[in-house]
Amino acid sequence: MTTITADHHGDHAHDHHDADHKPAFFQRWFMSTNHKDIGTLYLIFAIVAGIIGGAISGLMRAELAHPGIQYLHLWAQTMEGPSATMDQAYHLWNVLITAHGLIMVFFMVMPAMIGGFGNWFVPIMIGAPDMAFPRMNNVSFWLLIPAFALLLGSTFVPGGTGNGAGTGWTVYAPLSTSGSAGPAVDMAILSLHIAGASSILGAINFITTILNMRAPGMTLHKMPLFVWSVLVTAFLLLLALPVLAAAITMLLTDRNFGTTFYDAAGGGDPELYQHLFWFFGHPEVYIMILPGFGIVSQIVSTFSRKPVFGYLGMAYAMVAIGVVGFVVWAHHMFTTGMSVNVKMYFTAATMVIAVPTGIKIFSWIATIWGGSISYKTPMVWALGFIFLFTVGGVTGVVLANGGVDDVLHDTYYVVAHFHYVLSLGAVFGLFAGFYYWFPKMSGRMYNEFLGHLHFWVFFAGVNLLFFPMHFLGLSGMPRRYPDYPAAFEKWNSVATNGYMIMAAGMVIFFINLIWSLAAGKKAEGNPWGEGATTLEWTLPSPPPFHQFETLPVVD
Amino acid sequence: MATLPPSPFDRDRRNRRTLVLMAVVGLSMLALGFASVPLYRIFCERTGFGGTTSRAAVDVQVRAAAGHTMSIRFDSNVQPGMPWQFYPEHRTDTVTIGRKDMAIFIAKNLSDRPVTGTASFNVTPTQAGGYFTKIQCFCFTQQTLQPGEEVRMPVLYYVDPKILDDPDNRDTQQITLSYTFYPVEQGKKAS
Amino acid sequence: MKKVKSLVLAGLLAFAPALALNGQVLAQDNAVAAAPAADNAAAPAESAANAAAPAAEAAPVAKVAAPPRMKPTEGIGMPRPGEVTLQEQFSPTGHTARWLHDVLLLPLITIISIFVLALMLYVMVRYRRSANPVPSKTSHNTLIEVVWTVLPVVILLVVAVPSIGLLADQYKPAPKDALTVKVTGYQWYWGYEYPDNAIPEYVSNLLPEDKAKANGEPYLLAPDNRLVLPAGRPVKLIITGADVIHAFAVPSLWLKMDAVPGRLNEKSVFIEKPGVYYGQCSELCGARHGFMPIAIEALPPEQFDQWVLSQGGSLKGATKTAQAAPAAAAVVADKKI
Repeated sequence: MTTITADHHGDHAHDHHDADHKPAFFQRWFMSTNHKDIGTLYLIFAIVAGIIGGAISGLMRAELAHPGIQYLHLWAQTMEGPSATMDQAYHLWNVLITAHGLIMVFFMVMPAMIGGFGNWFVPIMIGAPDMAFPRMNNVSFWLLIPAFALLLGSTFVPGGTGNGAGTGWTVYAPLSTSGSAGPAVDMAILSLHIAGASSILGAINFITTILNMRAPGMTLHKMPLFVWSVLVTAFLLLLALPVLAAAITMLLTDRNFGTTFYDAAGGGDPELYQHLFWFFGHPEVYIMILPGFGIVSQIVSTFSRKPVFGYLGMAYAMVAIGVVGFVVWAHHMFTTGMSVNVKMYFTAATMVIAVPTGIKIFSWIATIWGGSISYKTPMVWALGFIFLFTVGGVTGVVLANGGVDDVLHDTYYVVAHFHYVLSLGAVFGLFAGFYYWFPKMSGRMYNEFLGHLHFWVFFAGVNLLFFPMHFLGLSGMPRRYPDYPAAFEKWNSVATNGYMIMAAGMVIFFINLIWSLAAGKKAEGNPWGEGATTLEWTLPSPPPFHQFETLPVVD
Repeated sequence: MATLPPSPFDRDRRNRRTLVLMAVVGLSMLALGFASVPLYRIFCERTGFGGTTSRAAVDVQVRAAAGHTMSIRFDSNVQPGMPWQFYPEHRTDTVTIGRKDMAIFIAKNLSDRPVTGTASFNVTPTQAGGYFTKIQCFCFTQQTLQPGEEVRMPVLYYVDPKILDDPDNRDTQQITLSYTFYPVEQGKKAS
Repeated sequence: MKKVKSLVLAGLLAFAPALALNGQVLAQDNAVAAAPAADNAAAPAESAANAAAPAAEAAPVAKVAAPPRMKPTEGIGMPRPGEVTLQEQFSPTGHTARWLHDVLLLPLITIISIFVLALMLYVMVRYRRSANPVPSKTSHNTLIEVVWTVLPVVILLVVAVPSIGLLADQYKPAPKDALTVKVTGYQWYWGYEYPDNAIPEYVSNLLPEDKAKANGEPYLLAPDNRLVLPAGRPVKLIITGADVIHAFAVPSLWLKMDAVPGRLNEKSVFIEKPGVYYGQCSELCGARHGFMPIAIEALPPEQFDQWVLSQGGSLKGATKTAQAAPAAAAVVADKKI
């Protein structure tokens, strides 16, 4: 997509002796201002959070494998002493679903996509030496640590019926206000505040970097689509997260200072919280998926050896998704008793999102069309992403219909839908990006066979895990239930088996990761050949500590 | 667009400008989040969103739509734990659309201590909310009942004749007005 | 009227045999307060549902027996084991909505997914490096870009028309003479009140596993006391929450409405056939969110009237037949659906 003047290729690092001079360990990793190091920290953080969040989903699938309470009571006794009641066990269930949701959204997908890959590759792709505000970048990352600690810590303090915040990741009032005594929910809310502040700082940093730090010749319309996706995402963060911050601040004051913003007793309205939450929450789902779109666009183009089809359409489809994403929020609230006109509007507006999403899907396929595809691991993951995101997207069209949503709302159909677009969409995007950029980041090649094996095992696992959830939802199984009528057993146990296969896939991933870091083949500057046209492939692998001391010129 | 290589000094200045601009955008959204509380209330009152009722002055003049009637149902709730009995004098009433009418709710303190309460309300079906106009009511004014005291609380209201022209309310035959009484706790003030 | 009510004053216990199905108390145990003979239109104060004072514990002995607890039909009004699609529907909007899903949406999304998969498989095979070593450099085709923008718009318009129509149907308010029942969600049970029939609120709790089994009912779907409604008559549910948000949901009636504290929601229901229709709370409401089931027992109208009388309620604008029905008619032989 961009042709780069050849004279600055890679080796300029050797011309400047200080380009690769790294500070001492503590200085480098704890007070880091280097976008690549911070990106690495974000990725490590996301992997740790992903292991915790994934383990929690394992606990949930184990409990749900069969009807009846299998382990929950035992776990509650382990956590809260042998006198733990069944109610405390049920509360523990709510804590698990809440923690899984919050961890995966705020501490896994967002840090990995934006903090990890965004930090690593946005500056390089636009030909900038670093982010616009390197110290603010460092603050963004380190805010995540106390945020995560608060969330994990909340599990060990009282939160109503038992320990921990059991409100669901949506933290709906009044369950989260009058319904949850104890400090756990306060800690969870503070955790969101801090994580939100971290993301807002990051968003401002990315916007400034992308708008002001582009190399000469790198116009907005020449930027790689991944940079476009991060730009749109950063704007979504900047516009959506402050609203969440306001909403949960009012939750805190309702809980602690006697205000009644969401309490009908004092003239407030619990529905207002839902409006505010989803005004943030719907853009949030695009925040999680848009960088994935960007990553997949880069990979499809690279391994088809073809420029992205309909580049402008792709870029502006993301902008359109971002804009429309702000005016559809109440489709998450179809059963709250809204009036018919409002419901009709949100039904229609939601369906509109299918159009730019369709443009993206078809443009990816058109990019491959006529290409010369090499099936390296990142490409396989990207192809998996395109198909699974389509499956997740079309069930979104079903749910968009307010009249149909009356029966599907808050059932496993919704769980299946958002796991297809997030757990399968965003996570496939993450793995695609990880394999794609692993050689660049680490300087070593991953094991191609293990990468493919990881894909196929994971692909089979997640489909077996999430596809049956459509059946459960259609036949009426509500979300957030620790136990279910016997009729739902079949698909639940299939899903649990799917989880185990997926977990096996993750084992392969970690074996590959460790093996490749330790003994992987040394990676060239550009291991992917002529299809890889973005600036990061013009640098050696790994890139020098300081890149582009002489700005590259793009024409 | 940024095509010329800016000097580091220029770039820093531009970065700072963008930073300030974006911080302003973020803070505006934060302010909007808080401002949504009054905005939402105004929006609900203007549009009848979510079954919010309209208000009118005591001397409001409306033309009754003779021959068009609407059934009104009165619903009452008391927050669990509040030692009050609270119920409408009549469960349902049929009124001429546009004619002012009065409904009585009765509240009684069943406990042996004074209890202060405040009520919230809404109307169903939601599309009828904007047409249900209250001239006078006890909502959101605190009521203190002495032990055993019983009060009759009037609601003066009318159904706006414009409802007859609203296609969304073509099938509306009954409007339900619902009140919920809450105890006013120490330290919890009505906002 | 007076006569009926004074009969009702008596209570329920006399009819234990009719209720003795599986030895469990089938009528509402927090029985009816003595209903004074008052004008029907003005509901007596004693029936105000939310009166904090507990329901009077007058030993109830009714002269009208409640109809026997209806047996659920396997697979009707409840999920079937291993089911892959929607539950069978028993309301007019349910039929329309299910049609929209089964005939329009499901085939549509299946075709789209298969179409995308087919395209992908084709390009993956056709344009693999060994088959197509030299990639084309095409990156624009205005015609095709317009087509894949316009075509989805057309498809969505086709979906939108019946979808909007369905919404309008679902919002059609119940007529003013519809039976009105008030549903209140509590942590963690449901309360049902019949304001026009002077039946004060009774509560509906989870039926423990052994009792559900003994009853032939699905555990976690079966409550002790059901919400009794007439089949074939319009019903208006007014729904609210007492503490946190719950959601009243019955999949086989295409019914789901949040129960929000401090706010009343309304939903009109029309049940086509007598039967037992199960549902579950569908909004996270705390620890026992998964353990506050819903069951609607839809009775033929005359049996419903009989049930109302058996609860000490009065019939408002209902048929006279049930009022006249002698207590002996209580045991209704065939209630198969």
